[in-house]
Amino acid sequence: MAPKKDAKAAPAKKAEPAKAAAPAPEPDVVAAPPPLDLSTVKVEFTPDQQEDYKEAFGLFDRVGDAKVAYNQVADIMRALGQNPTNKEVRKVLGNPSDEDMAAKRLEFEAFLPMLQHIVNDPNKGTFDDYVEGLRVFDKEGNGTVMGAELRIVLGTLGEKMTEAEIDALMQGQEDENGSINFEAFVKHIMSI
Amino acid sequence: MECLNDGCPKTHEEDIMDIPLDDPEANKAAAKIQASFRGHMTRKKMKEDKPREEVKALAELGWQNAGNFPRILGKLPEFC
Repeated sequence: MAPKKDAKAAPAKKAEPAKAAAPAPEPDVVAAPPPLDLSTVKVEFTPDQQEDYKEAFGLFDRVGDAKVAYNQVADIMRALGQNPTNKEVRKVLGNPSDEDMAAKRLEFEAFLPMLQHIVNDPNKGTFDDYVEGLRVFDKEGNGTVMGAELRIVLGTLGEKMTEAEIDALMQGQEDENGSINFEAFVKHIMSI
Repeated sequence: MECLNDGCPKTHEEDIMDIPLDDPEANKAAAKIQASFRGHMTRKKMKEDKPREEVKALAELGWQNAGNFPRILGKLPEFC
């Protein structure tokens, strides 16, 4: 894998986060959102919060350059209590290529407005959102979903989860009938 | 979007057929739920087994405040 690539004529792909109206780089289920302008995001975290975030951020720096890799940003945001989709993280990073995700690094000052943008998201999932989302699969209307069916949903819809991720998530959640009470499940998920 | 199969046995094939693979709304809802799951698992994992490794690794790197990691973790969930 070549570590650095010049911006050669790649088909409809841009190396830098450009503001020009570029067409969506990759086909997607939903139309790609317009490029995000982070310069308009006002960082509202208090100095104490920023200090804590900086410490957490630093813990992810395995190289020692006071930066983190693009592909760590989602996890740092999750560690800081957010639940962005992978797509939202990529958007806030400027829709980088897969190579950029692995190779590019981000310093804390650039990370802060990205985190703020995610924190400010008016469409953040709520308890009700998750419960109603799972209720779709409640065939008997009794507040439970079959663990087996949930596993299939998690592995085939949306941002598919791997079997390992699903196993880790579902560990100890199914009752003796293989069912999950989804309200209790969501409460458990949201408790940490 | 629902598939109503009268009196169908609950086999896995039936369950698979019911899953709305092409429905953008279902996929959007799934992605949101998956995001919450991933968030939960990252935080859970960090609380459970990372602290000792991280503290050790940081101490090796010469970090004076590596021992603050547990304190930081204790604060993290409040930023939701």
